[in-house]
Amino acid sequence: MLTLSLMSQDIYERKCVPCHKELPTSLDQMFMSYLSLYSGEKNVKAVLKYYLQYPSKSMTVMSDLFIDSYGIKNESNLSKKELNEAIDIYWEKFKVFDKLK
Amino acid sequence: MLVLKNKATNLVLKSEKKSLLRFLTLYVTMITIVIALSSLFYYETQEKLMLAEQRAILTKYAYIQTKRLKVLHHYFDERRTYPRDPRFTSAIYDIDLRKIFSLLEEVNIRFDEEIYIGTNHIHFVKSLDEYFLGAKYLILEIKNDGIWREEIWKSIIGYGLLAFLIFIVFGLYLAKLFLKPMRDSIILLDRFIKDTTHELNTPLSAILANIEMMDTDVMVEKNRKKLTRINIAAKTVSTLYKDLTYLTLEQEKENEDEDIALKPMIENRVEYFDILAKSKNITFILSLEHATIFMDRRKLSRIIDNIISNAIKYNKRGGKIEITLNENLLKIKDSGIGISEEKIPFMFDRYMRFNQSEGGFGIGLSIVKKIIDEYNMQIEVESKEGEGTTVVLRW
Repeated sequence: MLTLSLMSQDIYERKCVPCHKELPTSLDQMFMSYLSLYSGEKNVKAVLKYYLQYPSKSMTVMSDLFIDSYGIKNESNLSKKELNEAIDIYWEKFKVFDKLK
Repeated sequence: MLVLKNKATNLVLKSEKKSLLRFLTLYVTMITIVIALSSLFYYETQEKLMLAEQRAILTKYAYIQTKRLKVLHHYFDERRTYPRDPRFTSAIYDIDLRKIFSLLEEVNIRFDEEIYIGTNHIHFVKSLDEYFLGAKYLILEIKNDGIWREEIWKSIIGYGLLAFLIFIVFGLYLAKLFLKPMRDSIILLDRFIKDTTHELNTPLSAILANIEMMDTDVMVEKNRKKLTRINIAAKTVSTLYKDLTYLTLEQEKENEDEDIALKPMIENRVEYFDILAKSKNITFILSLEHATIFMDRRKLSRIIDNIISNAIKYNKRGGKIEITLNENLLKIKDSGIGISEEKIPFMFDRYMRFNQSEGGFGIGLSIVKKIIDEYNMQIEVESKEGEGTTVVLRW
């Protein structure tokens, strides 16, 4: 049952959401932070991809207080393809386009 | 003196008209360009001024809208309504110039300009420092009522016309100033001709009368030739004298129009000029039909004399003059030096002479033209340099 449930989830649900559940800042808040710093889709995706591959304090969008408490994340073990896929899902899920009225 | 001056002042030569026209064309073109450029500069300055005023207002609006976007950004999970303002409409675009949300009426945005006038709106493009909702550009749009443009056009047309009129008055004054020396010369020449004409009458009449009275049969050949030369010279001066007196005195007289038989008159004038023609071995070829014309005899005489006199004067030695007359046409064709085509329109100008080697004041053909115009006759001149000139009169 658990396996079936995992199988039905996408890579974002499987690889990103579980870890972020533990953190006090939600994924959509993080997305808005990226958006406020990098604006466009290309920029946001590129920065996300780079940060997930090579996480560093200088690249994070989180506050110093957050980093001091939870530290910098570990390097992603996802392949490039998986990473791109996860980022694309993340973008589609939280993007601002077509949501304003 | 005053009458003469007025007469001469009113005399506008074709060349004078041409100079005036050229000057005025150039002048009007120049001031039109100056006024147009000034208007353009004024328009652009006023437009910039208007945009500067709008920029100040729109910067304030942009600041307010940015704050609203900031709030929306932070509460995006709860609120999704884009902030609206009755004073303006707005849109947000991301760094890739992709539209995030827009309330604008005009869709084409010039991101490279901070403020500009679109089709019916003024657009203000604000580049944001913090990309709330991912917006790199905030575009504000307000209605362009066009009142400022109407005001500018009113000013341009008003002041432009005023400047144009002032320039035109100034231009006419300048033109008058430039043409004054030319007019002064004409007045001086007219005065000189009038004064000298009076003095020529008596001695000329005496010479011609005495030549006519002389009995050439009893003269030796040598003296007869000398008398012929005197006769030619006297007749040349006589033609000139008649032109001068016509110009200065007779043209003001009332016309005594009558039916004139042209054939005998032409024959008479040919006979009169025959001695002049023979001196250059010029042959007259006459083809005269019966024709009449209703006009003043003195004036007709001036026309025929002047054309024949010119045909002799500018003919080659041993040349010929063909005179053709039919009901409504008189054609006088010479085999002379001719004149170039571009000079033909000016040959009727007063004091215009194209050949300095021949004598004369250059008034003969201007008299001819005046009389022809007075009687609504037509004159056509065809000429080829080195081949000759044909003058055709129609009535």
